[in-house]
Amino acid sequence: MSKAPIVTRRRFMMATGSAIAALGVQSAWGQGRIKIDPDNFQPMPIAIPAFVPGTPADGQAGADVAGVITNNLKRSGLFAPIDPSAFIDRITNSDDPPRFANWKQINAQALVVGRVTRQGDGGLKAEFRLWDVGTGQQLDGQSYVTSPEYWRRISHIISDRIYERLTGEKGYFDSRVVFIDESGAAERRVKRLALMDQDGANVRYLTKGADLVLTPRFSPSTQEITYMEFGQGDPRVYLYNIETGQREIVGNFPGMSFAPRFSPDGQRIIMSLQQGGNANLFVMDLRSKSMTRLTDTPAIDTSPSYAPDGSRLCFESDRGGKPQIYVMAATGGQAQRISFGDGTYSTPVWSPRGDYIAFTKQGGGQFAIGIMKTDGSGERILTSGFHNEGPTFAPNGRVVMFFRDPGGNSGPSLFTVDVSGRNELRVPTPGYASDPAWSPLLS
Amino acid sequence: MTASDLLRVLRERKGTALSVTLHVLVLGWGLMTFSARSLEPVYEEDVIPVDISVDDTTKMTAGVKNGKKENTKPLVEKVAEAKPVDEPVGKIDKKEVTTSTSTPDPPPKPVDKPVEKKPDPKPDPKKEEPKQAEKKPDEKANDPIAEALKNEAKKPPKQEAKAAPQQPPKPKQERVFDQSKIAALLDKRDPSRQAVTGDIINPNAALGTRTGNANAMVATWHAAFVSAVKRCFNFPYNGQDADQFEVDIDVRMRPDGTVAAPPAVVAVRGPSKSVGAAMGESARRAIEQCQSYAFLPKSQYDSWKLIQMTFGLKDLL
Repeated sequence: MSKAPIVTRRRFMMATGSAIAALGVQSAWGQGRIKIDPDNFQPMPIAIPAFVPGTPADGQAGADVAGVITNNLKRSGLFAPIDPSAFIDRITNSDDPPRFANWKQINAQALVVGRVTRQGDGGLKAEFRLWDVGTGQQLDGQSYVTSPEYWRRISHIISDRIYERLTGEKGYFDSRVVFIDESGAAERRVKRLALMDQDGANVRYLTKGADLVLTPRFSPSTQEITYMEFGQGDPRVYLYNIETGQREIVGNFPGMSFAPRFSPDGQRIIMSLQQGGNANLFVMDLRSKSMTRLTDTPAIDTSPSYAPDGSRLCFESDRGGKPQIYVMAATGGQAQRISFGDGTYSTPVWSPRGDYIAFTKQGGGQFAIGIMKTDGSGERILTSGFHNEGPTFAPNGRVVMFFRDPGGNSGPSLFTVDVSGRNELRVPTPGYASDPAWSPLLS
Repeated sequence: MTASDLLRVLRERKGTALSVTLHVLVLGWGLMTFSARSLEPVYEEDVIPVDISVDDTTKMTAGVKNGKKENTKPLVEKVAEAKPVDEPVGKIDKKEVTTSTSTPDPPPKPVDKPVEKKPDPKPDPKKEEPKQAEKKPDEKANDPIAEALKNEAKKPPKQEAKAAPQQPPKPKQERVFDQSKIAALLDKRDPSRQAVTGDIINPNAALGTRTGNANAMVATWHAAFVSAVKRCFNFPYNGQDADQFEVDIDVRMRPDGTVAAPPAVVAVRGPSKSVGAAMGESARRAIEQCQSYAFLPKSQYDSWKLIQMTFGLKDLL
């Protein structure tokens, strides 16, 4: 356990005269410091009443914004928004300090109040304040102005602010997910590339479904995706800019089974190319289109994924007999096997936080989604069952999205689960959905 | 009129004098008895907080002002009577072993005892009565509730039902108080409080030196304090590295159990600076939110005027 202090305020204490600890005085208890650990994990109870309408016409917008924030925080698993029917107080002016006793009585630890006002120029202004109910401190407060059609985005941004203020980590709500939308009968499935907000809202289709599309990948730094499209011949890899709608072909790659993934800076893509019975890893510079070989083994090396600092990458290889996860330097060289459990490991994905690698594990007729530390220790299965596949991390690395296919005439659906394995939730999609890829934060 | 004239008149008019005297007495008694007096307001007796103190036992070794400088002898209230010292080699009582000519009694044969039957779970007929009455309400009775109440009144009290029904009730003997037998009522058991005996009387409590230190019995309120702060500490974190985070916080307390100054975060340990900082804030808020800690014993304020804590997330995993 790392004990190196990362924040020390002893100097501050001495300056303010409360230097008891710094002077080395023994604890008054005579037994060292009192250790306080919470008994178990409990989501934080938070009250999010409807935002106060700035004008009589803004009532619905106020309720909608509060609703999106409530849903976001609830889905994170870290917060337990209190049912509005339990509220015993109403917020009528978001600028006044709330009557904390009334919120304390319903066990709220945090309170979000806000106001939504349609501006004279047609814009929408949303303000919020985050209060600590126990101490009556305002923890955060911010105001945003946007076009009314972006009210959901403002709700996501406010959700991220609340999440970050209370957990100390960046949120992930103002992000999107690209996925394969599937429709039609099982034998004649139409697959389209689709984009949606992380909560399943605002679905947009990026392809028409004439050709089969597979395995979209989001750039970790730009609003670009790569994906594979099977047209008349070999699979082609496309680069698609979501903001401009521009589509660019990267190349034809015979025998490719997964689309390339981006490097952390978005300037390169890494892929596995088949040569005979083997597959090896290559990097392509997106500007010069030059290719660099990273592995040269008589085995199948596939599914490469960069660490967020770009120094290393993880990939799947059967060089040891069965498919397992390996880690090596981003420039190639000696690879180190990190997965040693029963069964086979595939589709490794490095967390944007850098602390974990998510994977699909197959064994005993089950497909499990799990995570392990980057040295292979601390393996944890997050979900298990028939055909779970394709993990992708939220931008803050705290939630994993994957798809589950129950088989038969049914089709796949998207799910999220947090890295502790708690709070598995289905992501609403218009039809069947597979191959999710989470975007970085939009802002 | 002089006093002698007054006496002469009184002597001559004895009846008048008696009347005056009696009137004075009656009026005087009336004045004393019926005098109006404003009633003093009746105050409800203040609730006296009772501190359950464990000081007496936990501060046995505390110093006393009048203690002798080098008196480390325990309290002695009574000089002990000299007891005959047992012989160090031990006593052996002689006992003659007699040979017996008679054969020993055979060991008692085990008697097959029928396993005691538990009392039949048959319901007591007496108890059944009211039930029957309840089931079959008297047709004559117009008010079934009143009838049921009547039956309930007839029902013997439970204690009587438990008593053995065969035994005829003994006539109650009236208690006769006999003063000469008071001694018989006295508790003749030895008092549980025994005088502390020793060879020399020492009136000082405990070890009684002037500089003795008492052991504070912190465990009694340490656990209560941890439990109280835990109630408010709820940091939302789900990372697998939760056990690596620790926040040291010092808090200065007032004697009434409230926080004297904002709790100070003195150190944060963990893999993420921002998470550690948020955790520190969360812990600070928890300490302030859950105050006051009025249960902390005032007599031991010195031991908790500065409380040093370490918050962790070990059990979140």
